[in-house]
Amino acid sequence: MTAENDPAAGPLRAAARELVDIALTIQDAAAHATAALTDDALLRALPHAPSAARQTYRALLRATTNRQGLGCALTGGRLATVSAKAGAMLGAESLAVRVLATSLRLRVAAVAVAHPELTGDPMLARLIDAAAADRDLEAVRALRSLLKDRGAVHALSQLAPVFGEVLALRALLDENPLNDATAWLIATGKGFATADPITGMSNRAVAVLDTGEGAARRIELTAAESARLCTRGSLLGFLGNISTIGTTGRALVQSVEGPDGVIRHVLQAPGMRVGRPDGESPQDLLGAFSSAVLASSPYSRALAEAVADYGLPPGAELALVGHSAGGAAIMNLAQDPDFCARHTVTHAVAVGSPVDFKHPADPRTWVASVTNQHDIIPTLDGQGAGTCFDLHPDWYVVDYGDSTHLFPHCHSIEHYLANITDHLPEARDLIDERLTPFRGQVVRSQAYLLFDRPPDPEEFPFLTVPTRAVESPEGTVELPIRCRDGNALTAYFAVRPTAAAGLLEGTGLGPAVQVAGHALVAVHAAWNRHTSAGGYGELHVGVVAPGPFRRRSRPPVWSDLLRRRSCLSVWPDLLRAADLRRSGSFLVGSAVDTTIVRALGPRLWGGETYLTPLELRLGTRSAHVTVGQILTLRGRLGPGLPLSDPGLVGYTREAGAVLRSCVRTRGQARLHPAPSLRLVVEPQSTHPLADQLCELGLDGARPLLCLSATTRQTLRDAAVPVPPA
Amino acid sequence: MSAQIAAIIAHAEVLRSDARALAACTERLRAIEAGLKAGGGAPHWLHASVTAHLAACAAAAADLETAAQRLSRYADEASP
Repeated sequence: MTAENDPAAGPLRAAARELVDIALTIQDAAAHATAALTDDALLRALPHAPSAARQTYRALLRATTNRQGLGCALTGGRLATVSAKAGAMLGAESLAVRVLATSLRLRVAAVAVAHPELTGDPMLARLIDAAAADRDLEAVRALRSLLKDRGAVHALSQLAPVFGEVLALRALLDENPLNDATAWLIATGKGFATADPITGMSNRAVAVLDTGEGAARRIELTAAESARLCTRGSLLGFLGNISTIGTTGRALVQSVEGPDGVIRHVLQAPGMRVGRPDGESPQDLLGAFSSAVLASSPYSRALAEAVADYGLPPGAELALVGHSAGGAAIMNLAQDPDFCARHTVTHAVAVGSPVDFKHPADPRTWVASVTNQHDIIPTLDGQGAGTCFDLHPDWYVVDYGDSTHLFPHCHSIEHYLANITDHLPEARDLIDERLTPFRGQVVRSQAYLLFDRPPDPEEFPFLTVPTRAVESPEGTVELPIRCRDGNALTAYFAVRPTAAAGLLEGTGLGPAVQVAGHALVAVHAAWNRHTSAGGYGELHVGVVAPGPFRRRSRPPVWSDLLRRRSCLSVWPDLLRAADLRRSGSFLVGSAVDTTIVRALGPRLWGGETYLTPLELRLGTRSAHVTVGQILTLRGRLGPGLPLSDPGLVGYTREAGAVLRSCVRTRGQARLHPAPSLRLVVEPQSTHPLADQLCELGLDGARPLLCLSATTRQTLRDAAVPVPPA
Repeated sequence: MSAQIAAIIAHAEVLRSDARALAACTERLRAIEAGLKAGGGAPHWLHASVTAHLAACAAAAADLETAAQRLSRYADEASP
């Protein structure tokens, strides 16, 4: 039920409106008296009648400062404004402010008709009374009691229907002069709340921090998401799509074939994206704020970009549907004359959005606003359930209350969907009826990822390299393989030197790099999500070696010392960029999980490459690697030191030659000096790589250190033979 | 008549009009209270608030009327 329709609330709202008129009359009188008091004309005439001038000034001062009359009523002009703010700081309100406060209290009383808990609940009533009576300490105590007793969620939810009124009451009556203008706007319904009603901080000052021309890039939905999109146009279908897309920085454009056979289009915009307040997405907190406060925002400009890219025929009919910040953003599009000149915006439906002060550019645009009275977000423009103004008599406004009072739950698109489905059949049917031209088969859907400003091409500059096509038994692939998005884990283990020595014999790569008398073995797992060869996982196991062309051993007396020096000099080399590095892993086995990359294995790194399922789950704190019937490596990574991802260098022996392969990387990695992972070879596995791991003594082993990279780009080209010494 | 005198007279007229408007506000306030009382929907605190506003409006109207008279007299005496 909407409070607007409650007959008992009507007279209270009418009385509140009348009081606003009276307050404005009083304010006008105060402004006129102030203007007279500060007019130079009076001062210039003073020499001609000093006695009358004195009496006149005295009368005007009394009229503008008499606490029994207009109160501290100086207004208009810089000096008068400063004086009035000084008066406010001393707690001397004007009569106009006191009348407005009465109007706001009547608005609270009107809301209480539909929400008796507001006055029936002693704690809420105490808070509202204290706010209305300008008893600061009492109001703070009442709020603290309410929060303690109900918790923040319940307290906010219960206050939500009169949130704007209570804030405006406090702002009108408190000693902070910075929030007075906002309180006036809320109380008189003259415009958007221009500042935070508590602190007085300018909303516009915050909103202008959200900069950017807005951009949209086509993006494919997952199969599961695509399957959940509506196949026929309807209000519930479009809102369901918004729920499916979620608050992920995306928007959706669909085309529907109407009952008359005409193709029409629907833009669907979700609410705020959870995460950084000012990220790359226009759906962040700042974006939500600017969409509500400003006439044009990066979010609405990004939506316009999406519509432009979608390619609507000139004059095509377009409906706009948005939730929360998305509702404010689509209303910004609807009030953009240029956008409306390019497209025929026939409908705008905003759900749970602060849109009271938006005005469509085309008067023919039909607007519907659906808000839950316990949802605070739609009241952020200052007008909520308690408003006594009919700001848009031509809109279809549904302001309802339901039994679930909990904010932010009641703000979610899922909650609105449930309410519209189950509790608001009349509103649903009416909006659906108005959307009849859009209620047909969906013939096209395209999702967009939105940005504050156009993103750099994902492959530029690191992955923008010359490429060539190579044939493989599984198909044609471009080399180098360019990975736009991947992650990797390299774990270094200490093994018996004898186990490694035999593997390196005759390779010319030198003795294995040693730590405390043990040889070093690297287990490298990578998940390459998006590459020019498709997504694939890979595993490489190798003995870490200094690489070719190292100095030979010296006379026996110095040999021991020099070998130690040689080993020490390898460590800095291990962290050098891959294309400059001499040291690397002599690969004893490799595995991948796609046939095409397996087919390329001999060309990419040489040696035997196995095909097996491979999974890498890598977070900042833990890692979990599962490689088919070969191994599991999992556990906590421990603290990490940031460094540039050094990439990977691998060596293999192929037909008497040694091949060097290299993975060049771009991204940050972390060196974990004390990981607590454990490698377990799959029990009873007969896989050759599993046998190899057991021979190296890695079953049950813990790595000495790990290198993790949760986001990186890579370039992997074909291996090249190491030139003969 | 100099521009200053004309301005002072204009201020006096505006304030006199405002005094009348504020006097009318007292009637509007009474009507609000009476209307809500008749409908049985007047909050318990309304009477005290309206009474205070009535007194303030009456006082403000008197102050403005006095200021208007003083302005008129000032204009008379300052005229050459």
